[in-house]
Amino acid sequence: MKAVKSQLEFLGRHEIECVIIGGVAGALHGSALPTTDLDICYSRTPANLIKLATALNSVNARLRDAPSDLPFLLDEETLRKGLNFTFATDVGDLDLLGEVKGVGFYDQTVEGASSFEVLGYRFTVIALAKLLLAKRTAGRPKDMIAVAELEAILEAKGIGLED
Amino acid sequence: MRKEDEDYFLNPPPGSAAERAVEFGIDLTLTLENLRLTPEERIRKLDDHLAGIAWLKANARLKPPSKTTAHESS
Repeated sequence: MKAVKSQLEFLGRHEIECVIIGGVAGALHGSALPTTDLDICYSRTPANLIKLATALNSVNARLRDAPSDLPFLLDEETLRKGLNFTFATDVGDLDLLGEVKGVGFYDQTVEGASSFEVLGYRFTVIALAKLLLAKRTAGRPKDMIAVAELEAILEAKGIGLED
Repeated sequence: MRKEDEDYFLNPPPGSAAERAVEFGIDLTLTLENLRLTPEERIRKLDDHLAGIAWLKANARLKPPSKTTAHESS
């Protein structure tokens, strides 16, 4: 099982214009908290939506929060009409967010983002301070655990810890 | 990693975010271990952890309590 690796390779291979957010972003910034799904905030340009639909269909993406027998056509129009989607795919669970609560849409989320080279691809990862903001806004118990750890990492970076 | 960076996590300064994290229940030694790794190593470690959990789920079997304890059978 190489879930996160497979998900990142999927993103990199299809050159999806997106920002990695959530637990995987936390892990890349140094968090030790486990996570299983990959959350991204995606650009909603027509070209990227077409790329996303093609990519998602190639890994048999299906909605996690809908009955399995519900007819669902995954194409650019479907993505354009919606905003946030939770998919189960052949490479693992993938959450697509058009908007990150507390941060904003793609343009606000990508602003000041970090860049990490992993598995031969370069990924855009939400800035640590914005990830903290998103986690505080979400405010679920698991987010508050992440907030406590991320605040320590952010403070350490503020006093000189290198990425 | 610089010694002062390690110290921040191992001996959190009073009033620091690290101290609050420890009080919240975060094991910062795990965080420090992760920070010593490259981003790619962090992802591989995360996957290894997930693989371990998946293996346990697939292989662990709940056994009914034994009537004879190890002590009694000796």
